Amino acid sequence: MDTLIGQGRTAIGLICDPDSFVENTVGAKSFDDPSFGPGAVVGTAKLDGKTVTVIANDADAFNEKFPVVYAGIIGMEEGYKMAQAVYASIEADKAESKANKRALVLVVDTPGNGPGKVEEIFGMNKATGAYQLALAEARLAGHPIVAMVIGRAISGAFLCHGLQADHILSLDSKFGTMIHVMPLTSISRIVKKDIEILEKLAEGNPVFAAGPRFFSKLGGVEEIVTEIDGMRDAVIRHVAAVRAAKVAGTDGETTGPWGRGALGAERAGRAVRPEVIALLQSELAQVASRYLPGAN
Amino acid sequence: MSKWSTLLSRSFLESNARERALGLVDDGTFTELVGPFDRRTSPHLETLGEAVEFDDGIVTGIGKIGKTPVFVISQEGRFIGGAVGEVGGAKMVGTIKAAIDFADRIAKDYPNATDEEKPIVAISFETGGVRLHEANAGLLAHAEVMDQLQKARHKVPVIALIGSKVGCFGGMGFVAAATDVIVMSEFGRLGLTGPEVIEQEMGKDEFDSADRALVYRTTGGRHKYVMGDCNFLVEDTIAAFRAQLAELAKLPREKFEELRRIGSEVLVAKQLKGVALAAEMQPKDSRDVWVHAGNPDPVSLALAPVADFRAQAKRLAL
Amino acid sequence: MALNTLEFECKSTAATVAVAKPVHFGVVGSGDLEILMSPAKNDGAVKVKVVTPVTGFDDLWRRVVGAFVENAKLGNVSIEINDNNATPAVVTLRLRQTLAEAAA
Repeated sequence: MDTLIGQGRTAIGLICDPDSFVENTVGAKSFDDPSFGPGAVVGTAKLDGKTVTVIANDADAFNEKFPVVYAGIIGMEEGYKMAQAVYASIEADKAESKANKRALVLVVDTPGNGPGKVEEIFGMNKATGAYQLALAEARLAGHPIVAMVIGRAISGAFLCHGLQADHILSLDSKFGTMIHVMPLTSISRIVKKDIEILEKLAEGNPVFAAGPRFFSKLGGVEEIVTEIDGMRDAVIRHVAAVRAAKVAGTDGETTGPWGRGALGAERAGRAVRPEVIALLQSELAQVASRYLPGAN
Repeated sequence: MSKWSTLLSRSFLESNARERALGLVDDGTFTELVGPFDRRTSPHLETLGEAVEFDDGIVTGIGKIGKTPVFVISQEGRFIGGAVGEVGGAKMVGTIKAAIDFADRIAKDYPNATDEEKPIVAISFETGGVRLHEANAGLLAHAEVMDQLQKARHKVPVIALIGSKVGCFGGMGFVAAATDVIVMSEFGRLGLTGPEVIEQEMGKDEFDSADRALVYRTTGGRHKYVMGDCNFLVEDTIAAFRAQLAELAKLPREKFEELRRIGSEVLVAKQLKGVALAAEMQPKDSRDVWVHAGNPDPVSLALAPVADFRAQAKRLAL
Repeated sequence: MALNTLEFECKSTAATVAVAKPVHFGVVGSGDLEILMSPAKNDGAVKVKVVTPVTGFDDLWRRVVGAFVENAKLGNVSIEINDNNATPAVVTLRLRQTLAEAAA
């Protein structure tokens, strides 16, 4: 197998316990209408014997109602369907402790959010926003969320499906995985710089070049998985690590988007970010008393 | 007349980010944080030989409206379209986080503080999302902002103000959607995929980005008001945005959840009714939806003065 | 490809005007610039730093800023400019506006 692009269901099978994936049921919620959000695959599986919610993209599906949805694009129905799967997971485990809340495994292979006039008229931004808020809520409630990039993780679609996870893993780019806002050729055209110059600059600065390696340097990807058959172990390992952090209460600083900020500094890819945040905090500290209750 | 009071009557659209920030809060109360004198320009733009700005295209700070501490984030569209890079993204993330920490401090040290004395965040959006010159860092900053918005829930109301030239698109389009309240002027535009990108991806038949009227009909403040995607539609002055903000600052904090469009299972179910309507109607134009919402003469309605529009417009019931 | 940084000094023959506190003005839009003007004890001279993507106009910058400093009788000031292809007329206008802001 040299790539998993377009094979979200295959990847679910490779990551989860054999034949454990039950599509369209999460907790008490079932998704009975096959024409609803077909570009999103949601369901429940076992991972190392434990119940997990799985959310993936279906690159073969075409949404008849919203024809901008194909090839794994997340449309309005897809975004809300994914959000519903997350809320159903939270609801199912609301009485559970952090040690037992089910993990969410995001299998990422999506080229974009639905672009289109109807989408803009009705607000595609709400659908993708709704899913991200749901993931952030689940993460903060104690569900470990691990994203596994198996194919395309492009720009806003990656923000939607992936970047709210506690930890993000990516298959090596030798399997065709793509993580970027735009390919370097497009960036070159838009910022009007020669591609050769950009490629050279990218060697020293990972902030604009495409690929998992550069995101890893920026702390945007926790681990690059070098073999397809290594995905399962990696996901199990990261779920366990994230769960341990949640139980210990250290997840706030070490996982999720905020934790990846710290990782970006540690890997020297995003060195300015923490300086700016620290400066802002120190400047605020000097004037804060003027804004506290009772101050004039 | 003081400089501040002259700001108030100014067009929000025509003003720059700093003028908006200063005018939104009470005279003399604004303290800029990581402002231009800190000279935190983008090292990545410098590497690429691109012009830099001392504030990296975003004004962040704290001010007051009455008794309410207001953390202000104001994006500058004239600097690279207000796009978000590493420095500007960190300022945005840092400001929301600071507001949450500030609320925690007040909750701990001032148990009798009234809601009016607790902080709010106001974000004036003017951006197409990620800055391509530092695209990866910009993208990661978006995810951080979204995370902070969820962390702010039930603690610090976050209010989106959209009335700038560039509008609010790309990743910031869903960041704005995820705030508690959205205030727009009729010149504000909110969406995900900008008009040029839709045309590029779907063809001119789907969307002619040069058709300004179409662009405003699809993503402009009036349409978003009819759809319920923006909560309040105000006149295009700094004073009008400020007045709406001042009114919201007095609102009991638990009321903000009621103003949300997304952020819970119930709200997702409600939005899905809209999606079902979209599938059923397959509208060719936003005005079809206006008619469906109970506005039989959308053309006149769209031309009515804002106050009349607000009084007359029927909003889509889901 | 990095940005072009230009640093020089100019001195008004009758420097009597200074700024009391640092002031910022402008937005680095296309064809525009921003300016920081701050007090700087410098023997009456004005220190200038220009950061711009444009190369090859060093003399023009000296002339334009020099003429402004002379006319404004400015001294003991530091001027920092971030430029994005502004014309000399825009540069002069923004320098005047910045000084007016400082006097306000």
